[in-house]
Amino acid sequence: ARWRRRCRRAREVRDRGLPDEYLLSLKFLFGSSATQALDLVDRQSITLISSPSGRRVYQVLGSSGKTYTCLASCHYCSCPAFAFSVLRKSDSILCKHLLAVYLSQVMRTCQQLSVSDKQLTDILLMEKKQEA
Amino acid sequence: MAETLRRVLTRGGAAWSGEENTPAAGPPLLLLGTPGSGKTALLFAAALEAAGEGQGPVLFLTRRPLQRMPRGTGTTLDPMRLQKIRFQYPPSTRELFRLLCSAHEAPGPAPSLLLLDGLEEYLAEDPEPQEAAYLIALLLDTAAHFSHRLGPGRDCGLMVALQTQEEADSGDVLHLALLQRYFPAQCWLQPDAPGPGEHGLRACLEPGGLGPRTEWWVTFRSDGEMMIAPWPTQAGDPSSGKDSSSGGQP
Repeated sequence: ARWRRRCRRAREVRDRGLPDEYLLSLKFLFGSSATQALDLVDRQSITLISSPSGRRVYQVLGSSGKTYTCLASCHYCSCPAFAFSVLRKSDSILCKHLLAVYLSQVMRTCQQLSVSDKQLTDILLMEKKQEA
Repeated sequence: MAETLRRVLTRGGAAWSGEENTPAAGPPLLLLGTPGSGKTALLFAAALEAAGEGQGPVLFLTRRPLQRMPRGTGTTLDPMRLQKIRFQYPPSTRELFRLLCSAHEAPGPAPSLLLLDGLEEYLAEDPEPQEAAYLIALLLDTAAHFSHRLGPGRDCGLMVALQTQEEADSGDVLHLALLQRYFPAQCWLQPDAPGPGEHGLRACLEPGGLGPRTEWWVTFRSDGEMMIAPWPTQAGDPSSGKDSSSGGQP
């Protein structure tokens, strides 16, 4: 069942413009994070939030039910794995949430949400409050 | 952003008075130096440079108003350029976060250069690495948003000054490693004296990517005037060769 699921996912990815060799490269580079990121894409867990100003921010609903903020302009995710494994230890290139954002950009599968400029400010500020 | 600073240093700290093509912003630049090493003066010179003909405005963030205008190398301050520099003084880390998170709400034309002086003071107030990472990411995201507003072919540069200590503790080292990751271009200001009785600084610019490393000799006269010249031993000093790849740290 797991193999069938992966094949189905591979076909879906290919249908959205990612050839099989790219999928294999993703697995080679990111290991299990690639599968987890594709799961997030499949579940449509990525939302691109934009305001009339043109500023954009991504939110990813993680498998634990927690929402993380990603800034694709500069490679940033608010999840603990990004802070520890990517920034602090340099063990990983990306976390699964940021990888899912980049994959959803290529595959054009993210949800879109328009908010006011003030609401976007609050979303960005909320991230700071959550950390504190 | 290194190109703007290179132009400032090459011209001896003076802003270019003529008209020329807008330089590409390039990667964000981190300006590092010990207390009193002239970081603010160089940031201000870069602001004047970026506020030239057909350019600007410039957004200059610093915790408190400058006590006096930093001095260049004898050139008179051009009021037209000065008017294009918008100073804002977020008094705390919380207020800096608020300013960056709401930057897209600010009316008026988008800046072509975003400057932040004294990052260490904001980091000291909120020293958790995850907080520092978010603050730095927001600085980059704000510059990226300004670039988006400027339109195709125009970018908003980002230059941030950080005070370094002679003996850094583990928190400082962690912050520096984080910053160096997000800021590919760096300029180090190191105390140095090429001759007896001389006191000055060695400005070492690593533009990031494959660009050459370049060095200058910076001194300050008793009246505060900044003097900049090419590093005197550059030609014969293999350690400061233009193809050096030593990573930019002293």
